[in-house]
Amino acid sequence: MHITPLHPTFVGEVSDLDIAVPLSSDQAATIEAGMDQYAVLVFRDQPLTDEQQCSYSRNFGELEATLIGQMSKPGERRLGPVEIGDISNLDPSGRLRARDNNRRMYALGNRLWHSDASFRATGAGYSLLSARVVPAYGGNTEFADMRAAYDALDEKTKTEVEDLTTEHSIAFSRGQLGFDNYGEGNADMIRPVHHRLVRTHPVTGRKSLYLSAHIGTIVGWPVPEARAFIRDLTEHATQPQFTHAHQWRVNDLVMWDNRTTMHRARRYRDLQDVRDLRRTSIKGTEPAAMAAE
Amino acid sequence: MQITPLNPDFAGDVTGIDLTRPLTPAQVAAIEAGMDRFAVLVFHDQHFDDDTQLAFSRNFGELEISSGGEMAKPEDRRLKLEMADISNLDRDSKLRTPDDRVRLGALGNRLWHSDASFRAIPAKYSLLSARIVPGTGGNTEFADMRAAYEALDDATKTEIEDLITEHSNAYSREMIGFPREDYGPHNQDKLRPVRHRLVRTHPVTGRKSLYLSAHIGTIVGWPVPEARAFIRDLTEHATQPRFTHTHQWRVNDLVIWDNRTTMHRARRYNDLRDVRDMRRSTIRGDAMTAPQQQAA
Repeated sequence: MHITPLHPTFVGEVSDLDIAVPLSSDQAATIEAGMDQYAVLVFRDQPLTDEQQCSYSRNFGELEATLIGQMSKPGERRLGPVEIGDISNLDPSGRLRARDNNRRMYALGNRLWHSDASFRATGAGYSLLSARVVPAYGGNTEFADMRAAYDALDEKTKTEVEDLTTEHSIAFSRGQLGFDNYGEGNADMIRPVHHRLVRTHPVTGRKSLYLSAHIGTIVGWPVPEARAFIRDLTEHATQPQFTHAHQWRVNDLVMWDNRTTMHRARRYRDLQDVRDLRRTSIKGTEPAAMAAE
Repeated sequence: MQITPLNPDFAGDVTGIDLTRPLTPAQVAAIEAGMDRFAVLVFHDQHFDDDTQLAFSRNFGELEISSGGEMAKPEDRRLKLEMADISNLDRDSKLRTPDDRVRLGALGNRLWHSDASFRAIPAKYSLLSARIVPGTGGNTEFADMRAAYEALDDATKTEIEDLITEHSNAYSREMIGFPREDYGPHNQDKLRPVRHRLVRTHPVTGRKSLYLSAHIGTIVGWPVPEARAFIRDLTEHATQPRFTHTHQWRVNDLVIWDNRTTMHRARRYNDLRDVRDMRRSTIRGDAMTAPQQQAA
């Protein structure tokens, strides 16, 4: 197993490893160490079933159900287990979603820079995304290194952001795009949670900006001032020198650390081309900054 | 009068003219020609008061009423109606407090926009005069929507050629969490969306440009989230550093920009401590860019 850097500050490509078969504890530890260093790891040519993806993912912690899985009725899901996030443009019968399909509208929120599940009190640990079908054109995933972005802030800004607490909710990111149709009985899932804006990685001790499109305000700030500031920080943090674009090939698996990166999907011809990616997520372990009121 | 380009064909620095005195038609024509080429012109050391600024502005067309002014109650205005109050001062010339509604609404200027794109006949030029500038921060950034258009790939140019967008002040303010209700019941009709072409052609130069603005809420015929995601992508493209210019203000600077071919935004400064007093006059455009929807 070997890791080749793909970017000056983060993202490594792992070679000489088959992740469809059980890993030794040494191998899992090497991958975790690689994640601590690179924050994003790319594995090519890893054909996986959903079960194999779940098994591989469990090396790194407990699996988390996807929010949209939790909010859907069973009949609305294409994939069985709620631990497999359906990052596709397919409806439950495997057909392309129509232009005004509600799930399609919801999924467009992934085009905003975000950290997965930052709307949960514990956030997410890793996400692992496996490409089963990729579109002919477009649909890249871009990643941003929130450690490098933090390090590049001037001292005054570092001081200003150090102890700020933000509020995250899925309703904030979707609200930006004019989406608010979550269905009945899901009100408690969009209640905001609190997080520190500056996180410290539990292993490396490196600080990073914990930004996400799910942020709606900063505790104690007027909302418009908070949002304007968060936009400025997000723009800073997603400049080209902090980002990497992953162009998908079938059977790629990419895993990233949501504690130290943001990501977003780019546009593709989703009314015409199939893009079928499956995501597993590892539960975050960090407690929320403080209990939401 | 001399114009020194600050970037090739975008933003020019003008010297050798006093704008506070009456201009000859030839001087006005030279400034208009400079605007057609550079879209943004910067003049230093122009000691305007409100009357001389308005007199100079009238060389370029009819003045527009400021939207902030027309939405405010008369007793809350610090300046006359043709003069947009781009400051952090209240009517008593005191710094606005953190929760002041006008302060919070004005934070929408931190988003990339084109002035008065929420009007059916949108603005031509804006003219911004710096009377007091803060110690640090508070730059204005400009983006060249002609260059941004030209850099699009052909598939995107074809896709957007005939798209119509809907603009309202309510959309840009909603983005930063300033609810439309906070404009007051008497102003709700001013928030009704208007329609514009996404691709405009400049009446003099014939150059095409992207008509983008934070005031855009959707594209006619598109699902709203898809429209907003696409407009965000286009805005990100159009505001890359290679299309933008940063103006760092000095007292008595006057900057003119063409809202038909540029976007701009204000950057943060310490507005609870430092005074920033800018006065904007705005020239009306002369035509709608797209047919409007009949009011319901």
